[in-house]
Amino acid sequence: MDFGLIAQYLANGILLGTMYALVAVGFTLFFGVLDVIKFSHGDVLMLGTFIGFTAWMGLAAIGVTNPWVQLLGVLICSLGGTALIGAAIAKWLVLPLKKAPQLNTLLITLMLGTAIREAVRLFYPNGSNPKAFPALLPDAAVELGSFSLRADSVILVLAGLGLIGVLSLVINRTRLGLAIRAVAQDEETARIMGINYTLVVLATFAIGSGVAAFAGIMNGLYYNEINFGMGLILGLIGFSAAIIGGLGNLYGAILGGFLFAGLQVIGAALLPFASAYKDVFAFAVVIALMAWKPTGLIPERSSDRV
Amino acid sequence: MAGIEIRGLRAAYDKADVLHDVSLNVAPGQITCLLGSNGAGKSTLIRAILGLTPPHSGQILLEGEDITGLATHKVIARGIAAIPEGRRMFPKMTVTENLRLGAFQVTDAALIRQRLDTVFATFPRLAERRDQLAGTMSGGEQAMVSIGRGLMGGPKILLIDEPSLGLSPLYVKENFRIIKDIRDQGITVFLVEQNVRQTLAIADYGYVLSGGKLVAQGPAADLAGDEAVREAYFG
Repeated sequence: MDFGLIAQYLANGILLGTMYALVAVGFTLFFGVLDVIKFSHGDVLMLGTFIGFTAWMGLAAIGVTNPWVQLLGVLICSLGGTALIGAAIAKWLVLPLKKAPQLNTLLITLMLGTAIREAVRLFYPNGSNPKAFPALLPDAAVELGSFSLRADSVILVLAGLGLIGVLSLVINRTRLGLAIRAVAQDEETARIMGINYTLVVLATFAIGSGVAAFAGIMNGLYYNEINFGMGLILGLIGFSAAIIGGLGNLYGAILGGFLFAGLQVIGAALLPFASAYKDVFAFAVVIALMAWKPTGLIPERSSDRV
Repeated sequence: MAGIEIRGLRAAYDKADVLHDVSLNVAPGQITCLLGSNGAGKSTLIRAILGLTPPHSGQILLEGEDITGLATHKVIARGIAAIPEGRRMFPKMTVTENLRLGAFQVTDAALIRQRLDTVFATFPRLAERRDQLAGTMSGGEQAMVSIGRGLMGGPKILLIDEPSLGLSPLYVKENFRIIKDIRDQGITVFLVEQNVRQTLAIADYGYVLSGGKLVAQGPAADLAGDEAVREAYFG
């Protein structure tokens, strides 16, 4: 295998890893503040991507043609809308079930995800067919032998890593982040400190969902195609990544995202048969990892949240 | 200076810790103590004041205003702070972050810094360990963080729940001295304790709770020799 091909796999892996990490941190944040698994996360991501796609069609329809302006509009509508949806789900579906068994939350969000997915399939115009997502980023490429580095991939990776950096700063350096970490470590004592618990939970769900929408837009821009089922696999991968990283740990989730992408790329590169088996390979390794380290690679101590 | 008045409170937390029709006064500028054995209802009373366990009936008045059933962050905003039972550190945060959380509702950075300096002056040991994770500290050091954290918000009223629990006699003595200092600074203190002798030595007024009912009350000096106090524990 030549250098160019290896570099190509590596670049692909970094992009996918960034995307998965952005989905996984949501699972970890939600679990941190509320001890719940929100199974609708992937489908909320899909919905956010469709909001972005619709915003793009709207902008194009009113004659906005500059791709950067279009991209900005897409991101604002998608991230903002998805953040609101995330907060609404927390307020009306997840928080009311706080005293119920965790299985109930799991079930209700699983059903919600299915409802969102089916609603987009049935009610979005021609929703059961894939949509061609516009290429809004410059696709100029630098050729290095057999390796071609495309500008859009570089921008996507930098933006995604930048968002992860911003998220980490918010969690570790801001007053909101202090409140989120306090709630994650000891909810009741956090309340005694004067923290508005409900507000912190809503903000956390808004942030986690907005970040996932960014991953959805990334996915659309990278593959130039979106469909109503895209959240299913992305949600499952994000969930797996969060679990491998040790649920509740922000950096574990990021690590898990890159690890999963690495497995996919290795599967695609090294398996003798077609790369269609890369997911089978990646999930098989995850299953093996979980059998070996049942609590994740960075095991969560009861105190080690967010 | 602010006081708390509790009227006909009925509340329950954890089936074993129930309050039946409790009325009491936390007088401004004084140390009022509530004595009682485990399960007497002491924790439920603190939780009810903080809005963590809304009462079934009765009223909680702060400076004459009804705060019954208010959300906890709103109770804190009225000038109440608490040093919870078991100290309740945020274990994966540094000493400074724990103290910072005590002033969560304070937005004036200069004021926070000033109070932080005051806490570090009171507990030089914490100043040395300001960047240490609270979960890795000894019980006595955690007690210092917990007391400092309770003062960071600049409260008018401080609720202190079993500060001597699990501490060595030396730290207990030190803690009670600090609680007296806090009162002398003009902060109203409501002290919940099992340790009768040392509590009555610093308190101004006391109540005794047994089986969810008040069984005795009076100036701390009078309570020290009261038969009902002994009965509440051993009777």
